[in-house]
Amino acid sequence: MLLHNLRIAWKSLRRNITLSILIVSGIALGIAVSTTFAAFRHAFSKDPIPQKSDVLRYVRLDSWDPLKPYPGDDPTRPPTQITFRDMQGIMKSTIPLRQSGMFVSNMYVYPDPKVGRPFRELTRLCFSDFFPMFDVPFRYGSGWDRKADAGPDPVVVLSSEMNQKLFGGKNSVGRTVRLADRDFRVVGVLAGWRPNVRFYDLTQNQIATPENIYIPFNFLRPMQIRTNGNTDGWGTSGAPGFEGFLQSETCWVQFWAELPNEKSAAAYRDFLTAYVLEQKKMGRFQRPLNNRLSTVSEMMADAGVVPKQATAMLIVSLLFLAVCAVNLVGLLLGKFLARGGEVGVRRALGASRADIFLQHIVECELIAVLGGLVGILLSLGALAGMNAWLKTTMARGDFFKLDLSMILLSVGLSLAAGFIAGVYPAWRTCRLAPAMHLKV
Amino acid sequence: MEFGPILRSMGRNKVRYGLIVVEVALTLAIVANCVNMIGDARREMARPSGFDDDNILSVRSAPFAPAFKEDGYLDAALRKDIEVLRAIPGVHAVSNTRFLPWQGGGSSTTTRVLGSKGEMLRNQVYNADESTLETLGSRLVEGRNFTREEVESDTKRLREVTNSNRPRGADGQPIDKISQDVIISRAFGDLLFKDGKSLGKSLEDDDGDQYRIVGVIDHFYNPYGWPIHEYVMFFPNYSRSFQGGSAYLLRVDPGKMKTVRPQVEKALLAANAGRNVQLKELTEIKERFQSQSALLVKILSLVIFLLLFVTSLGIVGLTVFSVAERTRQIGTRRALGARKLDILGYFLLENWLVTTMGLVIGVALAYGLNVALVTRLNGTRMDAGLVIIGVALLWIFGLGATYFPARKGAAVAPAVATRNV
Repeated sequence: MLLHNLRIAWKSLRRNITLSILIVSGIALGIAVSTTFAAFRHAFSKDPIPQKSDVLRYVRLDSWDPLKPYPGDDPTRPPTQITFRDMQGIMKSTIPLRQSGMFVSNMYVYPDPKVGRPFRELTRLCFSDFFPMFDVPFRYGSGWDRKADAGPDPVVVLSSEMNQKLFGGKNSVGRTVRLADRDFRVVGVLAGWRPNVRFYDLTQNQIATPENIYIPFNFLRPMQIRTNGNTDGWGTSGAPGFEGFLQSETCWVQFWAELPNEKSAAAYRDFLTAYVLEQKKMGRFQRPLNNRLSTVSEMMADAGVVPKQATAMLIVSLLFLAVCAVNLVGLLLGKFLARGGEVGVRRALGASRADIFLQHIVECELIAVLGGLVGILLSLGALAGMNAWLKTTMARGDFFKLDLSMILLSVGLSLAAGFIAGVYPAWRTCRLAPAMHLKV
Repeated sequence: MEFGPILRSMGRNKVRYGLIVVEVALTLAIVANCVNMIGDARREMARPSGFDDDNILSVRSAPFAPAFKEDGYLDAALRKDIEVLRAIPGVHAVSNTRFLPWQGGGSSTTTRVLGSKGEMLRNQVYNADESTLETLGSRLVEGRNFTREEVESDTKRLREVTNSNRPRGADGQPIDKISQDVIISRAFGDLLFKDGKSLGKSLEDDDGDQYRIVGVIDHFYNPYGWPIHEYVMFFPNYSRSFQGGSAYLLRVDPGKMKTVRPQVEKALLAANAGRNVQLKELTEIKERFQSQSALLVKILSLVIFLLLFVTSLGIVGLTVFSVAERTRQIGTRRALGARKLDILGYFLLENWLVTTMGLVIGVALAYGLNVALVTRLNGTRMDAGLVIIGVALLWIFGLGATYFPARKGAAVAPAVATRNV
């Protein structure tokens, strides 16, 4: 029956090709615009690590100036990062399954002279837990172990791009890379790790791809590695020199803990409270107790990962789709009502009002689905254009994607638009009195 | 005119005309708000920095040769770099400063008026040498510029202080205070001093170090993550280190960027090859900083265009059906003496009424949507002029979209009325 309806609908569309193209392209534009903006927003808001987003927690402690809150949109928020001292303090806890302090530095890489001149590269300093905690995929080898953290052993993990650049993409595990004034042994090569948002460090370039080089955090002191990230300071400058910086109240370390269940999260919360109270006794942490243990999505909301414009544009694009649907109602109404004779004949031959209604709704949905398909194609083109734009500014060309959820959304939107636009014209058509249209 | 018959006939087809009313209303609401957002973005992009943006080149030297770890070597390299850069034909001025406009950030500190016990105010802070103002193209409106001797002696003094263990008193502040002469922006001076008279006054920071204001520049705008875009303090200092390298700004003679740029890296590497050199024109940095706004403007313009297209399509559709439905009436009217112009006028008037009803509702919707978007975007309230432009635009589009199908209706021959009765 439905197949029969579809055949009739198809025939009806073919009867007036120009009108049909206009109708379909109207809805296609609506779907293209709304799908594009939904995908635009989705690229930012999508959970970058869904399998673990409940168990990963970002730690913030309010060690800021007693006289005034950390600057920013929300004065109740503690500093975005923690001090080096506090990182050392809270890493003594054994409650988290895994944990890592981390920061990014701009380090000199000395490649084989045949490959090229020395160059600077963003390098992440982190602990061994970083790799299993964030489910980082490896092509060759693996991360380092906790023993290498303690050493620290001169080991390095490279991204697949860096491995391509330095070693032509071959398995480089066991080979040596010179960073600043030391040789590091390659223990692992990543397999194209590309989360949509660099969720583990939202302080800068949130949608950049992960760093290309990773080394143990504890090289900080022996190599006197300075952060290339944000350093938020307040109050007196502290003792001079590198050690003075490490002991200062400057906030510059990001800290993540993996807490597998609510019980461990609660225990860890208690631990942090006890830690801060202990520090208060020593004269630090003069602000009210304000520890945050945030999930990935809470962190993304706090860091404002989704641009405000993206939400505004999504609203505008849905209104655009509404205009297209209203437009469709008008066009369908004209098209259907002009068909009184045909409907009259069908009614006279025994078709019920429900049959007529169904027939016309099917036709509307056919139009909507055709429009949806064209719209998805148009939106793919638009997203490719935006990726090209992003590539020139961010050196990343794979950020905007039409994944399955977005395709389903746009098919859903098409069906909904077709139905909403079709109900009234179909209802009007099935109420036409057959007798009126059978007279000649 | 024919208001009576038009309104009565519309009353019989409420839904069909109602749809166009809704469509026009939504269109006006969206178009007005999109134009408003475009206006916001363009205004933000058009804000002048106060610098000679078009002729400034950023040059960053990142050393890797171990010799650069030694202070004396670094100083000699810095002097040589400035000398080499100045010698390039077409270079107007060279400055050693870490300030880089339009990158969306920089460095900041907090200060307050000396002895005021007031709140510490946040401001941007950068090192500068005697040529920094000339290189940026900033205009000194009060006081004086830094002298070369001052920059050299302050550099030496600051380095001694940071290398020494500054002993601290009971209040946590270093016992030996530093005192420096600084140049600030006028906006920052106005923020600090109610009467705006900042020259000769002093500021202090959390360490109790003091900064005497010896110069004021009139315009400074560098977008920052915190709302301190116009507040700046420059202090005299040459800045270079092994880790951080050294940063220079070059101001070239107008139109000389193309000839100067290719010579810079060669000249610097010839002077010292143990490093990498990175060049960026200020216009590139600015373009990158504004690229998101630029994209927004493009996308919104496209949305406006598509929307007007779709709405016009709807109006064309309505008129086509309305003409088709009334072929016989048109014929009758024509037979009774109506001119083509009367028929055309009828349809145009009918459409104008529908559009205007839509616009009345649309104005309310536009303001409603604006309120919803403003709270999300911290954008601006919509200007009434903008709504008027939107209304005019939709009137024109509405009449245009009606004209062609209506002309076809007007061409119906009077004879049609007599057929098939």
